[in-house]
Amino acid sequence: MYQVKAINTVAEVKKVLENGVAKIAPLWSLENFVAVNPYLGMSEKKFSDAMDFLHKSSNTKATLPVEFYLAAIKNGVVSVSDISYALKGNDFGYSSDVEEFLEEIQMVKQVDDHVMTLADVADRSQGKKWSRFMVDRLSFWASAYFDTKQATWDTAKNQDSLFAAWKSEAEIDFSAEAMGLRDFRKIVKKLPGDYISAAAQALETLNVPAEALELYINSLLMKINGWAGYTSRIDWDANLEGKESHATEELLTIVLVWEMCIKESLDSEPLAQAWVQSKISIERLASQPFVDQKLSQQLVLQEAFDHANQRLIIDKINSQGTTDKPKGKPSVQAIFCIDVRSELYRRNLEAANESMETMGFAGFFAFPIKYVQIAHDQGTNNCPVLLTTAYNIEESLSDIDAEQNAVADRTLKRQVEKAWYSFRSGAISCFSFVSPVGMAYLPKLFTDSFGLTRPVPHPKEAGLSSATIANKSVRLDYKDNEGQLTGIPQEDRLKMATSALKAMSLTDNFARIVLITGHGATTVNNPHATGLDCGACGGNSGEANAKVAVAVLNDPKVRVGLKVSGIDLPESTIFVAALHDTTTDEVTLFNVGNIPSTHDQDVVELTYSLKIAGESARKERGTRMNITKGNVSKKVLQRSKDWSQVRPEWGLAGCSSFIVAPRSRTSQLNFGGKAFMHSYNWEKDTEFAVLELIMTAPMVVTSWINLQYYASTVDNKTFGSGNKTLHNVVGGLGVLEGFGGDLRVGLPMQSVHDGEKYQHEPQRLNVIIEAPIDAMSKILKKHESVRQLCDNQWIYLFAMNKHGKVVYKYIGNLEWELLPIV
Amino acid sequence: MQNIITLIPVLAPLLLFSYALVAILNADSRIIKLKNTTQYLGAFGILVAIISAGLVTQYDTFQSATIGWNELGFSIRLDALSMTMFTMISLLGFIILRFSTNYLDGDARQAIFLARLATTIASVELLVLSGNLGQLFVFWVITSVCMHYLLVFYRNRPQAIAAARKKFIVARLGDLSLFLAIVLVYVSIGSGDLAKIFEEVQNAGFLSVPLTWATIFFVLAAVLKSAQFPTHGWLIEVVETPTPVSALLHAGLLNAGPFLIVRMGFLMSASTTASLMLIIIGGFTAMFASVVYLTQPTVKVSLGYSSVAHMGFSLLVCGFGVYSAAILHLVAHSFYKAHSFLSSGSTIDSVRAKRISVPKRRGSYLLIALSIAFSLAVYAIFCYLWGIQPQQDFGLMAIGAIIVMGLSQILTQTLDSKGTVKAMLQSAFLVIAVAGLFFILEKAAHWLLQSQIPQTNVPSMAIQMTSGVIVFCFVVIVLIQLAAPNLNNGKVGYMLGVHLRNGLYANVIFDRLVGSLKSSKFRWVNLTIVEGEDFKRQKASSLIIEKK
Repeated sequence: MYQVKAINTVAEVKKVLENGVAKIAPLWSLENFVAVNPYLGMSEKKFSDAMDFLHKSSNTKATLPVEFYLAAIKNGVVSVSDISYALKGNDFGYSSDVEEFLEEIQMVKQVDDHVMTLADVADRSQGKKWSRFMVDRLSFWASAYFDTKQATWDTAKNQDSLFAAWKSEAEIDFSAEAMGLRDFRKIVKKLPGDYISAAAQALETLNVPAEALELYINSLLMKINGWAGYTSRIDWDANLEGKESHATEELLTIVLVWEMCIKESLDSEPLAQAWVQSKISIERLASQPFVDQKLSQQLVLQEAFDHANQRLIIDKINSQGTTDKPKGKPSVQAIFCIDVRSELYRRNLEAANESMETMGFAGFFAFPIKYVQIAHDQGTNNCPVLLTTAYNIEESLSDIDAEQNAVADRTLKRQVEKAWYSFRSGAISCFSFVSPVGMAYLPKLFTDSFGLTRPVPHPKEAGLSSATIANKSVRLDYKDNEGQLTGIPQEDRLKMATSALKAMSLTDNFARIVLITGHGATTVNNPHATGLDCGACGGNSGEANAKVAVAVLNDPKVRVGLKVSGIDLPESTIFVAALHDTTTDEVTLFNVGNIPSTHDQDVVELTYSLKIAGESARKERGTRMNITKGNVSKKVLQRSKDWSQVRPEWGLAGCSSFIVAPRSRTSQLNFGGKAFMHSYNWEKDTEFAVLELIMTAPMVVTSWINLQYYASTVDNKTFGSGNKTLHNVVGGLGVLEGFGGDLRVGLPMQSVHDGEKYQHEPQRLNVIIEAPIDAMSKILKKHESVRQLCDNQWIYLFAMNKHGKVVYKYIGNLEWELLPIV
Repeated sequence: MQNIITLIPVLAPLLLFSYALVAILNADSRIIKLKNTTQYLGAFGILVAIISAGLVTQYDTFQSATIGWNELGFSIRLDALSMTMFTMISLLGFIILRFSTNYLDGDARQAIFLARLATTIASVELLVLSGNLGQLFVFWVITSVCMHYLLVFYRNRPQAIAAARKKFIVARLGDLSLFLAIVLVYVSIGSGDLAKIFEEVQNAGFLSVPLTWATIFFVLAAVLKSAQFPTHGWLIEVVETPTPVSALLHAGLLNAGPFLIVRMGFLMSASTTASLMLIIIGGFTAMFASVVYLTQPTVKVSLGYSSVAHMGFSLLVCGFGVYSAAILHLVAHSFYKAHSFLSSGSTIDSVRAKRISVPKRRGSYLLIALSIAFSLAVYAIFCYLWGIQPQQDFGLMAIGAIIVMGLSQILTQTLDSKGTVKAMLQSAFLVIAVAGLFFILEKAAHWLLQSQIPQTNVPSMAIQMTSGVIVFCFVVIVLIQLAAPNLNNGKVGYMLGVHLRNGLYANVIFDRLVGSLKSSKFRWVNLTIVEGEDFKRQKASSLIIEKK
């Protein structure tokens, strides 16, 4: 009999669980859908090793099929030199002969060799897809357990912890037995109540050898990658707050227990035999790297493809003439988010009005706030998910009476709406609703179809009058509001203002108007809507952060303080908050009434330039949407109101580089809305504190976004959310594709592919920073996790010299390579 | 002359069929031109419906001659009922076709999808326009076949195939029932012509034994078509195919069940057995599905259960003999459900809007009772104003009782809360408005359809008793919901919740019967799962690269 050393001490079991769940990236709810690097837990591995691991554990695709790259070679996108670069010093033992490599590609077939879990083995030996059934049942339970008020009646014990709740349900749920898993409930009933002991029992029954455990556990987690991501986010949040949480470990235990239950319930000798065989192959897989030769070829091709892309970007930057053009004082300085969509708009804005200067900075403008809307008692975290919020800021109106009325109105509307909703959707009462009221949906079908109305009001605006929406502002006053501190204390305001301006490299030469432009998207009927909002604001619109930044920077006391600390902000400089709507390319100025009349003329000019820029930006984006005929600008606008539109905008698709330098280095270049851009002037950065901030925060975040797009493109089944037309919103937090299956993560196929070609081609991010390489090396040395990103080839890092030319490439191990001069 | 006029509505399905043909023939090429015509096609359908409806108001009911054999074949019946359904389908057809042009943009098989959609809409139109039993049967089957092809649009989805297998069984049983019913009617009356059948039955005033059996088979056909318990499983799994299909199915095809009953109303109302079956099956399904709806955490599945419930309710109302109310419910439900499905992507917006804080419920039984009393009073006043007689209008009274209970749900939420008086007044107003609307619309529907439906009469004791039991159960369910804040989910409540969320396991048992975990089964009707993912899309993308 096949016997392995038992894992039975609590500490050992705990270790197995911990190691397993550490590899799962967190997944944010669709309420604030933030991009996450799906390989987050793997970044201590090299890119290629992580891909090999995932390929073996769960048949995850590492790249697009070979045909994609071959076509790119045929079209001349990838040149022989790119392939030869990729082959140089490859880890897979290929010679540097390109011809030979390309020939070999034709010969090698894909081997389908990956972990078979017990459920997979049961699929084969029983001819029934037990693995699918397991995932469906688990997902069905998790949907109810994690439901956030989508169902009216909570039927899963969500006050209990994961494993306990699952166990009580599995003890009475008849489904498994109805499907043919004998005594399923009995087996579950006999399990110990705490999850670690249950996991221990399952591991003992399954008897997996220690060498095979890592792959096996990962394979299980990847089966429910979506829900595991969701629990991992629960753990992540708890961790940020310094609390303990083991949601993912409990979820892993549930899958382990399922495997055990299938084994015990089916109780068949052939199954047991097949399981022993499977464990032997898992051990073999674990001991051999790159069992699938096709995978190693794909990785070489991917690197060649990346290299081709780098070549183009670097050529583009290096082949332009002198970039240090002397510039006078700009009429307006407009600060935008580093988002790739800003690049396109900024370029059009600068073209519309040459006297304007634009800058890039993380869209929360260094104001990490928890934002509480009118009549809400809970706020949203408007800051990057890597940070915790520092202040609670309330949405407010300048007129106290008007604000009280707005709160009362909104509460009233919501209450009546809630009553109406419970009437509409209650059991039996739904019948009384439909007969008399159903007919009212006929006109609504038409107005929604033609984009005259929204199917449901926008959550930001629901229950507010248009006057309130127009006058919404933020309250900075620091006070104790029923036990909750809101606002920002005066002394902190100065600190925040100073560090924000320094981080923006904006400490002198101020224009009369400084526009702080957050961004958000306008889409209708789109479950993934918040994914198009500002990631730096935690999947919210940047409106609130822009308003807070402006309120602080316009605060007279803050300005006095700034002067003292050496930032000379003239009195004539006014900060204005704005929102860039990335779907429509319209920029709205907020609280224009507060701008002093001395700046009336400036505002008129600014508004005009913004309008012109919007028009041309829409036209530019229209070509990418295949809108070529008729009124392009209008057709692009219509997309933002169309309830049947699955591609309202391209979001961050195509993102492939992150440029950290003064705007003058790129102002003559067109990156087609595919480059992140951060304004940074290293000469002003004493001790490289700002550089450190950029490399540890925005650089990490842009790599998250880039890798999310990468993964959703190369393996949409595992790391993407599939077909949008099948999306079925679950639990108010995510989508299923169709009736069952796992919770889906990442981006829909429609967001990366236009039906004819990929709008996001798989490319790892190229980070180009204008700063001394020593300074960068120092920062990499200090921050292990950032260094891993670069050393393990999750991103490529380049340095720009003080003439604006890209000259160095980071090659790992704190070493840089001089790029060949073109 | 009349024959030519009756052919006007046929233009709409004809055009849809030709569109489908063109789409299929050009499936592989770029379909931008075709897509641009799609919404005009829908608009044309609406125009045809309006003209036809105008004709009916002008000339009243009329029927074309039958092209066929022995009064079975192709004939068009224009009357208030067929026009109501026809207009409804045309309106929905427009919305759904228009929606699909952008929604499926980029799908490699969009042309095929649009073709299948158009064919389905055309078939439903010809079903409701049927002037004889032969045509009714043929299009009854064709709609189901069309639906099948929409359901398996993505053949690589196992759950879609499982649903299709279940639907296949249910649909064939339904077809068989309808076939038997039609044979019985044809043999008894000697004609397949609807006008003749209705006349014959009305003149006789009672049903012969074969005709009674026919009504029973009609009920079975309707129950199977409209996914009543326990055959509802396939319906909730239709979410395995793009959203517009759900909209069309739930708002269009599912209605065929209640439509059949109302179409055959002159027969059905004379059959106590059939009415009892409708009350029991429809009533139970309505209760079952509307409670299960509450437990579902996924939007499309919950909408599926909701449709099952509403079809049950429509059949129940048919059982009560109030056919006008049944059609009113059917039509209102269609628009409501089409909107719900098409806008299901907005769920996250709705969830986000729920974050606004509202006053808490008090849970005072007195206030709950007061809400019920108020709704009851409103209802009584309307009954009085409308001159409703409890004996004669038994069915309407029963429906009214259900409506009242529902209304109390609006008021309880605000009256029994720590909210403002303003909120209470607003909900009280809503109660009055909804009650008023119900009576007005019911009256309007009755006036519209009176020529096509039998007079309501005093039902038999058995029907009264059964209805009483059903209404009582409905009332209990509403009361439990009203008192929900006071109830703690004990062990029994928890177990009940889990079982209900699983739809009392009817679907999983059906799943096992059709071998849903097996890839290849039902080979003879080609219901095997096609392995491989998104094969079409991959193919499309590689083609383009080569072109470059």
